[in-house]
Amino acid sequence: MAGFLIKRFLQAVFVVFVVTLTVSYAIRFTGDPALMLAQGAGSVTEADLVRIREGLGLNQPFLAQYADFITGMFRLDFGRSFMGGTPVSQLIASALPATMLLAFASLIVSIAISIPLGIRAAVARGKWADQTIRILSLVGLSFPNFWLAIMLVLLFSIVLKWLPPSGMDGFASFIMPALTMGIILTATNVRLVRTAMLETLQSQYIMVARAKGLSESKVLYKHALRNCAIPLITYFGLQFGGLLGGIVVVELVFNWPGMGTLAFDAVASRDYPVLQAVITVLSLMIVFVNLLVDIAYGLVDPRIRTE
Amino acid sequence: MINKKGIHAAFIALAMAGSFMTAAPAFAAGTLTVSSPQDPGSWDPVDTFLVNWASVATNIYDGLTYRGPDLKLVPGLATAWEELDGGKRLRFTLREGVKFHNGEPFNAEAVKFTFDRLLGEEGSKGPQKSNYAVIEKVEIVDEKTVDLVLKTPDPVLLTKLAGYGAMIVPPKYIQEKGEDYFNAHPVGTGPFKFVSYEPKVGIKLEAFADHWGGAPKLSNLNYRFIAEPATAVAELQAGRVDLVIPPTIPIGMIPTIQGDSNLEIVSSAGPTVYALRFNTRDGITKDPKVRKALILGVDRDTIIQSILAGQADPIASFQGKLSFGFDPAMKPLPYDPEQAKALLKEAGVAPGASVQIDVRGNDATFNEVVQAIASYLQLIGINATIKPYETNVLLNDIIPAGKTGALFQQSWGGWTLDYDNTAYSMYHSGEKWNPYDKDAELDKLLESQRSITDQAKREEILKQIANYAADRSLEMPLYNLNAIFGVSKRVKNFTPVPDSRLRLTDVTVE
Repeated sequence: MAGFLIKRFLQAVFVVFVVTLTVSYAIRFTGDPALMLAQGAGSVTEADLVRIREGLGLNQPFLAQYADFITGMFRLDFGRSFMGGTPVSQLIASALPATMLLAFASLIVSIAISIPLGIRAAVARGKWADQTIRILSLVGLSFPNFWLAIMLVLLFSIVLKWLPPSGMDGFASFIMPALTMGIILTATNVRLVRTAMLETLQSQYIMVARAKGLSESKVLYKHALRNCAIPLITYFGLQFGGLLGGIVVVELVFNWPGMGTLAFDAVASRDYPVLQAVITVLSLMIVFVNLLVDIAYGLVDPRIRTE
Repeated sequence: MINKKGIHAAFIALAMAGSFMTAAPAFAAGTLTVSSPQDPGSWDPVDTFLVNWASVATNIYDGLTYRGPDLKLVPGLATAWEELDGGKRLRFTLREGVKFHNGEPFNAEAVKFTFDRLLGEEGSKGPQKSNYAVIEKVEIVDEKTVDLVLKTPDPVLLTKLAGYGAMIVPPKYIQEKGEDYFNAHPVGTGPFKFVSYEPKVGIKLEAFADHWGGAPKLSNLNYRFIAEPATAVAELQAGRVDLVIPPTIPIGMIPTIQGDSNLEIVSSAGPTVYALRFNTRDGITKDPKVRKALILGVDRDTIIQSILAGQADPIASFQGKLSFGFDPAMKPLPYDPEQAKALLKEAGVAPGASVQIDVRGNDATFNEVVQAIASYLQLIGINATIKPYETNVLLNDIIPAGKTGALFQQSWGGWTLDYDNTAYSMYHSGEKWNPYDKDAELDKLLESQRSITDQAKREEILKQIANYAADRSLEMPLYNLNAIFGVSKRVKNFTPVPDSRLRLTDVTVE
């Protein structure tokens, strides 16, 4: 077991290393932050640019900059934003919880919708309810999420004036962003629940349960759902990681002060330290979740451990 | 009777004695919420050049001079100034009795500290220093008099003192609290004082009742950072934002705001001008006749009306009507495709000749404009292909290296609204933005006006430069885009500003 853990851990470290190196290297091809800062400053001389680059530490060779970044990371010091010099760790400390909360809320919305719908579709397999749900989930899959977001804002904020159109400010402000993300996720989740249920419903113990004369809802939610819960939970858990990455557009539309907005601003202003940090933190989290899943599997199934 | 008189006198005495009396915010009521597209990240004047820094900070800080929406330079923290040593020394008389928001007095020390800091180590880290590099040093004459000693006379410096890096900062506060603290907790002498700042979310200000210009009419001023235009407009429609400032609202969203009975669009000519500049070194655009033909061949008025919803003015030179150096006598070339064809024939350009137009790919409105331009060129027998670049690539690599097509997009505008900055950057030999043209006569004109502090004379030369550049058809001048504000009708007394330096002292809300 210890060997397995060490191996998985080393793999995770390697992944994070490759991601940070790639991101740090690639972003330096996208343009000169000094020029972004000096834009509009009238005639910018090369000397000005050199001075600003020096101030930002960009005159150092790439590997030295990268080494600074890595060593800083161990002290939770991600450097300072090029835009105004705010410590990056401070920006992340406020953005990460915002994104996590939104991701969590979205997941709950999605589970709340997809489980009943998925079960309904499985039970009514091939009938009109199943077809309708499958078509709806296809529509949901092909929705651009920003469009859905804008439509929700139009309806609930502008026409009905029930919900605030943007910002993170109390419970009401969570509803639309979580609904948008949740609906998009639901499209895949419904199909997943449906498939898992279909398999379970054919098991003999379900037949027995029905033969015993149990009510249909008891059969479905108590016996069937419980049995297919394990793969679903695993999937939802992994989805949480993926959610963090896919949240940028929704955050932008709802002006959510999270990691997505932070990353978007950082790209726009070539703010290397902020973008590096955002991507590193997100990849660390995804790797961490995967690691946990791997370990859990290893604990449960000895075959995986010895692989 | 005596009693009444006594009370009267007591009232007057009270009113005169305590500044808190005049300060009592009898009319100061109401909160204005502003949507701004970008968080500059630091409120320190030396750190930034984002216009959206100024739309907040103009309320927090004062400069020695002040320039309002009418673009007239008036006294700010200096009540008077004079030029000495042939313009190489500017002497400022400082306003008395002014205090910073933290109670620290404003005086000659504060002025010296501000500029020493801007031109010293701290300022070197930011982009502001180069705008004030002409200042050699600051000399304190007495408590209320300060000299700026200049390396050379600079006719634009007094304007520059009204904004950005020249905002006066409190010495003791910065020395005690440190630079980092100051970035996030700004203190100035302006009409609003800082309350709180949440990075990427917003900044809150409240009225500073002791401001030398009188207390502002609003009690609170909240800014929210909203980058996405659709979101900012939705907030405006939902009544949670009162004012959306530029550059946020794209032309395409104007009808949405106009269609809402609670909102309106208010605009002012802005600082940004658009042109397609020519490669004057190679290809068919080397010939001034061809360049003139291309300008004549594009109906710019129709483009402004149909694509830009009328929110722009046609221009005859690379500057708008608010710019210092603007010549009202200069008229844009008319739309005349026949003359254009004749000129092309004269120049020996056969129909079907092709040109490439380089543009910034992320500028959606301009991409529509350039499509229209390409169709107009088609009508005079020129095949134009449009090549979109990533903005940074176009600005960093393509233009400075002289690797553009026959035409390339240039959008330009500085808050000083002085044609010197534009003309020098565009036309002087060897400048970063002028990879193709070398004209000794133009160089001489450009250099000559830089050392003249007689503004009337300088304006004459700038006009001359504009005419000279137009005669040589150095660019296809397109338009001066408006600064567009979305405003809720509960906001009263709002004057749009051309340069984002928005001071909201007179605004009230219902």
